[in-house]
Amino acid sequence: MSPNPLVSIRQLKLEALTARGTAHILRGIDLDIGKGRIVGVVGESGSGKSSLAACLLRLLPANVSRLDGEILFDGVDLVALREPAMNAYRGARIAMIFQDPMTALNPLFTVGTHLRDVLRRRHPGMARDEARRRSVAALSSVGFADAPLHVDSYPHQLSGGMRQRVMIAMALLVEPDLLLADEPTTALDATVEAQIVSLLENLRRTFSGSIVFISHHLGLVAQLCDDLCVMYGGTIVESGPVADVLGGPRHPYTRALLACELEDEAGGGRLVSIPGEVPDPVEMRDACVFAPRCPHVREACLAGMPALRDAGPGRRAACVRWEEVEFELSKPSQR
Amino acid sequence: MVAGRSARADETLRYLSSRLVTTVLIVIGAMLLLFTLSSIVPGDPATTLFGPQATPELSRRFITEMGLDQPVLVRLWRFFSNVAVGNLGVDVISGRPVTSLIREVIPYTLILTFTALGFAALVGIPLGIYAATHRGSALDNGLAFVSVAFIAVPSFVVAILLLLVFSIWLDWLPVLGASRTGALGDEIKRMILPTLALALGWIGFIARLIRTSMLEVMNEPYIRTSRAYGLSRCLVTYKYALKNACIPTITLLGLGIGRLLGNAVLVEIVFARPGLGRLIYNAISERNYPIVQGAALVVVVLFVVVNLIVDMSYSAIDPRIRHGAARAGARA
Amino acid sequence: MTVLRTGWTILRRVCATVTGATGLGIVVVVLIAALFAPWVSTADPDKLDVMNRFSAPSLAHWLGTDHLGRDLYSRLVHGATIALAVALSAIAVALSVGTLLGVAAAYLPPRLERLVLIVFDVIASFPSMVLALAIVAVFGPSTTIVIMIAGITLMPHFGRVARGQVLALKSAPFLEAERILGASFGRIVGYHILPNIIGPLVILASMDIPVVITIEAGLSFLGLGVRPPLASWGTLIQDGYQFLSESWVPVVVASSALAIATLGFTLFGEALRDAVDPRIRQEH
Repeated sequence: MSPNPLVSIRQLKLEALTARGTAHILRGIDLDIGKGRIVGVVGESGSGKSSLAACLLRLLPANVSRLDGEILFDGVDLVALREPAMNAYRGARIAMIFQDPMTALNPLFTVGTHLRDVLRRRHPGMARDEARRRSVAALSSVGFADAPLHVDSYPHQLSGGMRQRVMIAMALLVEPDLLLADEPTTALDATVEAQIVSLLENLRRTFSGSIVFISHHLGLVAQLCDDLCVMYGGTIVESGPVADVLGGPRHPYTRALLACELEDEAGGGRLVSIPGEVPDPVEMRDACVFAPRCPHVREACLAGMPALRDAGPGRRAACVRWEEVEFELSKPSQR
Repeated sequence: MVAGRSARADETLRYLSSRLVTTVLIVIGAMLLLFTLSSIVPGDPATTLFGPQATPELSRRFITEMGLDQPVLVRLWRFFSNVAVGNLGVDVISGRPVTSLIREVIPYTLILTFTALGFAALVGIPLGIYAATHRGSALDNGLAFVSVAFIAVPSFVVAILLLLVFSIWLDWLPVLGASRTGALGDEIKRMILPTLALALGWIGFIARLIRTSMLEVMNEPYIRTSRAYGLSRCLVTYKYALKNACIPTITLLGLGIGRLLGNAVLVEIVFARPGLGRLIYNAISERNYPIVQGAALVVVVLFVVVNLIVDMSYSAIDPRIRHGAARAGARA
Repeated sequence: MTVLRTGWTILRRVCATVTGATGLGIVVVVLIAALFAPWVSTADPDKLDVMNRFSAPSLAHWLGTDHLGRDLYSRLVHGATIALAVALSAIAVALSVGTLLGVAAAYLPPRLERLVLIVFDVIASFPSMVLALAIVAVFGPSTTIVIMIAGITLMPHFGRVARGQVLALKSAPFLEAERILGASFGRIVGYHILPNIIGPLVILASMDIPVVITIEAGLSFLGLGVRPPLASWGTLIQDGYQFLSESWVPVVVASSALAIATLGFTLFGEALRDAVDPRIRQEH
C-alpha cells in the first residue's frame, strides 16, 4: 500500500480453541500501515478487528492455538519474537486505548500511579516529581481543566469520558510509533463521544506516529482516518484511501455497509440491513467469506477464498468479480 | 471540590459508625445469649456444685450471695453492668475473679493463634501466587490436592499426628505443656508443633483463596491494560493484581479467624498447653459456669473486634469504600 | 421424571472429574458402612477382651484391637453410623429452622428483619467450638446436645442463603403475575418459592456435612460429645490419644477414617456445586 510502511502484516492467521471447535478468527490478513498514517479498521462484531489489534500487541487469550504469518514492525517480525523481546515493544513503541474506559483502569490505584508506572516503564528511573509533572501536562493536553487535582483521583471518581481521556493521555505519554485505538468511543454517550472525537481530531495534528482506529462506525472513520480497511469474517475485504473507498466501494460488503449507514442517516422508511448472518468462525468454508449474503454471487465466488487484488491506485479488494459488478452497477437500469 | 471532599468523609464516617453500631449490638446479643444459657442451668446450682453436702441452709445462703433469687431482669441488669466494668464474675470454686484467670491464660492462646496465622500467611500467600501464575503446573495441582486434604482434616487430628511423629517417634521436640523454666528457647520449641498443627490447614486455605482471587483478577480488563503497556510481570502481579486479590481474601480470612480460635482451643488441649482451651475445658468438668461464660464472652468480643478491624482495612485498601461508593464486593 | 433426569446429568458431571469421582466413591463407602454397620462389621464393637489389648491386625481383627481389646474395625464402622446420623440430623435442624427464619425475614417488616439478621450474626459471632462448649457446660454432654449445637451453628448460614434466594425471587416477573392473579401467600411461598430455593440449600447442606462431622468429632474427642456406649470417631481418637505411647494404631486408624470421610464429603460437595452451576466450573 505505502512505499515504506511502519507495519507490514502478511498472511496473519489466528485460531483459538472453543467449546464447539477451532475458531478461525483471522484467516490470512494482509495489511500495511504507513508511517504517520491513520488507518481505520471497520467491521461488524465478530469480524476479527479487535483480535487484529490484540495480535499487534501479541496480547492473546489463553485459548489461542495458532498464530501464523508475519507482522513486520519496522523490519522486525513480531510474530517470531520471544515474549521478553515482544514485551519491549508494549508501552514503548506500541500503545493501546481500549474500548471500555469503565473497566480499563485499576480501581484501587490513582490516575497518577497508573501514569507514573507507564512513564517509568518507558523511561526507567524517572523521578517522582518529573513523572508527576509530565502526567499533569498530559492530562491538561487531553482536556482536563484541573489536572493537578485529577492526577490524584481514583478512577471511580471520574466519568466514562474522563477515564477515556486518561487512557488517551496514558497512550500519548508513551510517545509510541503506533497507537491502537480499539473502538474508543463505542461505550460512551453521544455527547461525550463527540468530545472524544474532537480530541482525537486535534491529536492528528500533534501526534506524529501511526494510528490504527478500530470502529464499526463508518462516519467516524471517514472523519478521522487517512486509509480505510474493511474487515469481514476474519479477512480484509477491501482497503485503500478512505475517501476513495467510501466514495466508490469495490467490494459488495463495503457497498452494503455504506448503504446501511447512508440509508439510516437519510431517515424514514425501513431500516436497511444486510440479509443473512455473520459467518461462524468455527466453520471454515473454502469460498468467498461474504458469498452467502452477497447479491452478486456467482459460481466463481465459491471456488476459493478470493485474495486481495488490485482495485485501483493504492486500493485492493477481495472480490473476483469486482470489475464486473462495477460495470453492472454503472448501467442505468440497475439504479 | 472542597465540598465534595468533606461529603466523602461524611460517607466514610457514616459507614464506620454503622458498622460500630452493628458490632455493639452483636456483642450485646452474645451477652444475652450467654446470660440466658447461664440462667437455664438445670438443677439447683448449689447441689450441682457441692453435691450431697449441700444442706438446705447452705444452698439458701449460696443462692442469696450469688444473687440468684432476684428476678430475671435485675439479674440481667447486674450482669450487663458487671461486664461493663470488667467484672466477669467469680470462680465458683476458688473465689478468684474470672477476669484475672482469663488474663493469666489468654496470652498463650493469642500468641499461638496469631503466630499460626502469621506463619500460614507467610507460606500460603506466596504459594497461592505461584499457583495462580503457574497454572496447571505440578505445584499448582499438588497444592490443589494438598490444600483440600489439609482443610478437611481437623486441626486437633493434625495436632495428634504431629505429636505422634515428632514427639513420640522421633523425639525431636518436647511433648506436652508449656515451658516450666520460662526460657525463651524452650518456649519456642514447645510452640513449634502446636503452631504447625494450626497453621497447616490454614496454609492450604489461604493458598487456595489467593489462587482463586488472583486468577479472577488476572482476567480483569484493568490487568490487561497494565500488560498492554509492557509493565513487568513482577509489577503487574505483586503491585497491582495482588492488591485487588486481597479484598475477597480478607473477607474470608476475617470469618476464618473464628474457626482458628476454635481450633486453637482444641490444639491447646491436645498439647496440654495453658490457655483459654484448658481453662474452659476444666471449668466445664467442674461445673464452674462463670468461667465458661466469661471466657466465651472474651472470645466473642475478640472475634468481633477482629472482624471490625478487617472491615476497616477494606477502607484502607479500597478507595471506593472510603468515598462511600460501591461496596467492595462488586468487582470493577 | 425431569427431576430424575437432572439428577442423572448432575451425577454424570460429578463423576467426570477426578476429585468428584473420588469424593463420590468415598461418600458411597461411608454410606454403606453407616447404613449397614451391623453387617459390614466383623464383631461386636463393644465386646471387651482385655487380654487381647492392642493386638496387631489379624484375620479376627482386621485393624487390631484397642486398649480394652475391642475390635477397631467394627468400632470404626459404627463410628460412621454416628457421624452420618449426627450430621444428617443437625443439617435437618439447621435447614428447617434456617429456611423458616430466612424466608420469614424476607417478608417481615424491616425492623423485625433486622432483628432476625442480628440473631444470625450473634450466633455467627461465636466460634463454633466456643459456642459448643458454652452449651455443653449448661446442658451436659449427650448426642442430642451435639446435634442441637451443630444445628444452631449452621443455622445462620442457611438462613442467610434462604433469605437471599427469596429476595432475588421476590422481584421475579412470574411472581408478580401470580400476585396480581390473586394467589394466596401460602401458595406463593409453598408452591413457587420453596421449590426454587431448595437447590442452593441442598448444595449448602451437602457441603456442610463435613463441618458437622468435624464438630462432632471435636466434641467427642473432648469427652463432651456422644456418650458411651456410643463411640464416634472422635471418641476413638481420644481413646487412642490416651494410650498413644503404648500403641499408635488406634489413633492413626481413627484419624484416617475421620480425615478420609471429611475429605470425601468435601470433594463431593464441591463437585456437586460445580456440576449444578456450570458457570463456576469454568473458573477452575
